[in-house]
Amino acid sequence: MTKEVDICLLLEGTYPYVRGGVSTWMHQIIKGLPEFSFHIIFLGSSPELYDEPAYELPDNVVGFEMHYLLSAEDKAMPKPSAGSFNLFQSWQHFLSFFDKCEEPIPNELLSTIADFIGQKDRLTLTDFLNSRASWEVLTSNYLQQDANQSFVDYFWTYRNIYQPLFVLASISQSLPNAQVYHSVSTGYAGFLGALCRQKSNRPFLLTEHGIYTKERKIDLSQASWIKDKHNLIDVSMHKNMDTTRQTWIRFFEQLGVSAYHQADRIVALFEGNRQRQHEDGADNGKTQVIANGIDMGRFAKAYVRRPRSPPMVVGLVGRVVPIKDIKTFIRTICGAAKKIPTIEGWIIGPAEENEAYAHECQLLIESLGLEGKVKMLGSKDVAEIMPELGIMMLTSISEAQPLVLLEAMASGIPCIATEVGACREILDGAAGEDASLGSCGEIIPIANPSEGTCAIVNLLSDAEIWRKTGDIGKVRVAKYYDQVLMYDSYRRLYRGAVDGGYRL
Amino acid sequence: MAGIGFELRKILKKKTLLSIVEAYGLAGLISSGPWVLSILALLMIGIVSLGEFQSYVLRQFLILVTYLMAGSLIISGLFQLLLTRFISDLIYLKQENRIIPNLLGAMLVMTLLSAALAGAVLAMAPEINPLTKVIIFSAFIILCNQWLILILLSGTKEYYRVFMTMLMCYGLMIGLCMTVPAYGLTGLISIFTLCQALLTFIFLYHIVRNYPAKQLISFDFLKSDKVFYSLLFCGFFYNLGVWLDKFVFWSRAETSHQVFSIFNASYIYDLPIFIAYLAIVPGMAVFIMRMETDFSQACLNFYDAVRDGGTLNDIYLLKDKMVLACRHSIYEIFKVQGMTLVLLVLWAEDILLALDINLAYLHLLYVDLIGVSFQVLVMAILNIMYYLDKRYAALALTIFMALSNFILAHISIELGPLFYGYGFTLTMLLTTIIGFIVLDKQFADLEYQTFMLQRS
Repeated sequence: MTKEVDICLLLEGTYPYVRGGVSTWMHQIIKGLPEFSFHIIFLGSSPELYDEPAYELPDNVVGFEMHYLLSAEDKAMPKPSAGSFNLFQSWQHFLSFFDKCEEPIPNELLSTIADFIGQKDRLTLTDFLNSRASWEVLTSNYLQQDANQSFVDYFWTYRNIYQPLFVLASISQSLPNAQVYHSVSTGYAGFLGALCRQKSNRPFLLTEHGIYTKERKIDLSQASWIKDKHNLIDVSMHKNMDTTRQTWIRFFEQLGVSAYHQADRIVALFEGNRQRQHEDGADNGKTQVIANGIDMGRFAKAYVRRPRSPPMVVGLVGRVVPIKDIKTFIRTICGAAKKIPTIEGWIIGPAEENEAYAHECQLLIESLGLEGKVKMLGSKDVAEIMPELGIMMLTSISEAQPLVLLEAMASGIPCIATEVGACREILDGAAGEDASLGSCGEIIPIANPSEGTCAIVNLLSDAEIWRKTGDIGKVRVAKYYDQVLMYDSYRRLYRGAVDGGYRL
Repeated sequence: MAGIGFELRKILKKKTLLSIVEAYGLAGLISSGPWVLSILALLMIGIVSLGEFQSYVLRQFLILVTYLMAGSLIISGLFQLLLTRFISDLIYLKQENRIIPNLLGAMLVMTLLSAALAGAVLAMAPEINPLTKVIIFSAFIILCNQWLILILLSGTKEYYRVFMTMLMCYGLMIGLCMTVPAYGLTGLISIFTLCQALLTFIFLYHIVRNYPAKQLISFDFLKSDKVFYSLLFCGFFYNLGVWLDKFVFWSRAETSHQVFSIFNASYIYDLPIFIAYLAIVPGMAVFIMRMETDFSQACLNFYDAVRDGGTLNDIYLLKDKMVLACRHSIYEIFKVQGMTLVLLVLWAEDILLALDINLAYLHLLYVDLIGVSFQVLVMAILNIMYYLDKRYAALALTIFMALSNFILAHISIELGPLFYGYGFTLTMLLTTIIGFIVLDKQFADLEYQTFMLQRS
């Protein structure tokens, strides 16, 4: 315990190195709450992936440390060793919780583990990697779990999964003296938060933008590095996911459950995610929703410049990647062009991330004869371009709480979005007072160009309705999604934690 | 013996009695061929040329050749295992085009090394005339290189051609010795060198013709991972260990006499041990057969299961099978070498009489026969260790063997003529026992060490 800070942020692979929604939000929060001092613990995968930070750290960030979960190993020849039988017994007990992921790891076990792993003369990483006792645990777990799977795959999965815990434990053994620990995801950062909670007995807050465990499940089910051993004759193999994938998924589920269990407050971006957290094991009493907010002032000018009648332009702001389903957007414009010949579709966002997909989109535009109608504009200042758009559209197959909808609403532009994440809550309003404001656009099913076409025609055909729908959006953003509200919520959350209000 | 296992398995698949005899013959030829043939040839020269030369010339020639053999085996031992391993890896990686450049690279280094050593030794022998010196010098370099070339020979899969070549060259050597007696020692040593050179270059020709190459020379075999340097010393200490007792007997005043300049011989010690070495041919044949077929296959199966997703029970089972194959191999060596030993002990007197050798050697021959039989087991143990990649254990064992052979040879001389040969035999016995104990531990620990002690 060294110098005193207010809040220690636990960030996994995001701020300040990697750009994206979470990083932007993190930067916004730190800058918006200058009365708190922050210490950042950044968890990266391996050193070569991060060179220059993408954000300049604000002045109230007083400490910064980087740790790598997959750090380069030393080249020394491994030596045989016995390893402590007793410590590996507790280790095995600890691991058993990763097989039954509904039950969180008990407090005492978590704090014992945090004390002895990675400690010299206790249970070091070398013991974990090279000792006989470790081998005994590994083989007995393998035989218990599923003795028919590939042992070498199991071996490496075991190593890759549990090795990062040694990094987390050693971080938790020399924590900054913070009033509050705040993790912005579950996963490794969330588990570190759980360790922090046990080691320091200070409050631990957990904010989730997406649902980390769910995203990891999607990643893992598509991961090509895991060899599927599908046997054409053995149908049962097809039914179940590969054991390696299951092991990884159970691991992340347990990390999530333990983080939820240890957290004093759990924050979701919108109601849907809050319910999901509850389903995944978060205590209802701990959860709350704090929506992302935007800087209303930035879009005030755009609202003033809004024309009286709608420009025949549908905008999509986002990266050109499959998850945004740009192809559906192109097909939607193709349908709309039959009804409104002058219509244009603008794709605003970088196309470099997935060049193959961007190329496919270009080919689709050409094959539908939409050259000149659907344009890929690359990155633009959204506040500048807003008044030129008639509709803000999102065709994504997955979203959390898309800021671009809020920004369009702040500029008085009606929106069309797919029924994913918080989109319906944003456009139609949460049940109650919010919903009574009315709807500021239309919700469509995913991958459905004809519904999208109808929605476009509906919104653009009458200037009066168009302006009115846009105004509802502006009112809703000002009332529920102003960043000032978000700052207040976090200020209260932090203050409450610092004052000890959440101590259980 | 890169590549011999495959060929042996192919022959064995024919499953006829003749094919089994063929496989054993091949194994015996490849494993002990040149060395045993050399001894045989020398004995032949000794017998057939007895009338032609004065006996002291013949004795000088024999001791010179012995020194050449010993020196070249020890020096080339530095590279034998290193190169074998390196070439096996190249074959595994399907980079056969890198074999020839590295062989030539190794031969170049070997040539420089052996030239330096031969030069230094010959400089200490002023009594030898310059012409003879040059011939001895060349013979040494040629022999050193020949041992390296032999590593690759089995890979060419032209066994009969190899056998015929050997037969032809050694036949030529004996023939020439009988027909051109006029030039004394210089003549004999010239014939020897000439025939060895012929053999070496024909072998080299076979190999170069068999492997493609993109460059002339390469020293990658020295650059490869540092750990392989242990193999350098394994090969060196093994050959040194095998020869040290002879050197002790040649250097001690009680047991040696000067034959020729600085080259000493030991009347009492030399002849029995060389005859005894002929007795290892059956054991070596079985050893190579078993190792390169059953055991190496079991070993491959084990490592395949480790690498390619076998279950832990598969891995346990395949290790047990490997242990079983190992046990079978050793047991068969025991049987065959044991039977050979019994027969030779029974016939030892007749053999000595037939070769017109003094029966005073009989007792020593018995002891040496037992010693060389253990040596076959030592070779088998070391070979298994190389398969399991336990290079440091193998190195420790070879160093022990060298030290023990050196010390016990001295002690046996101190104890008197009745104990001659016991130093060598006891060394081989101790090395075998220690080797078995170490091997047993290595097998017991194999899965743990394979997985937990790898460098990621």
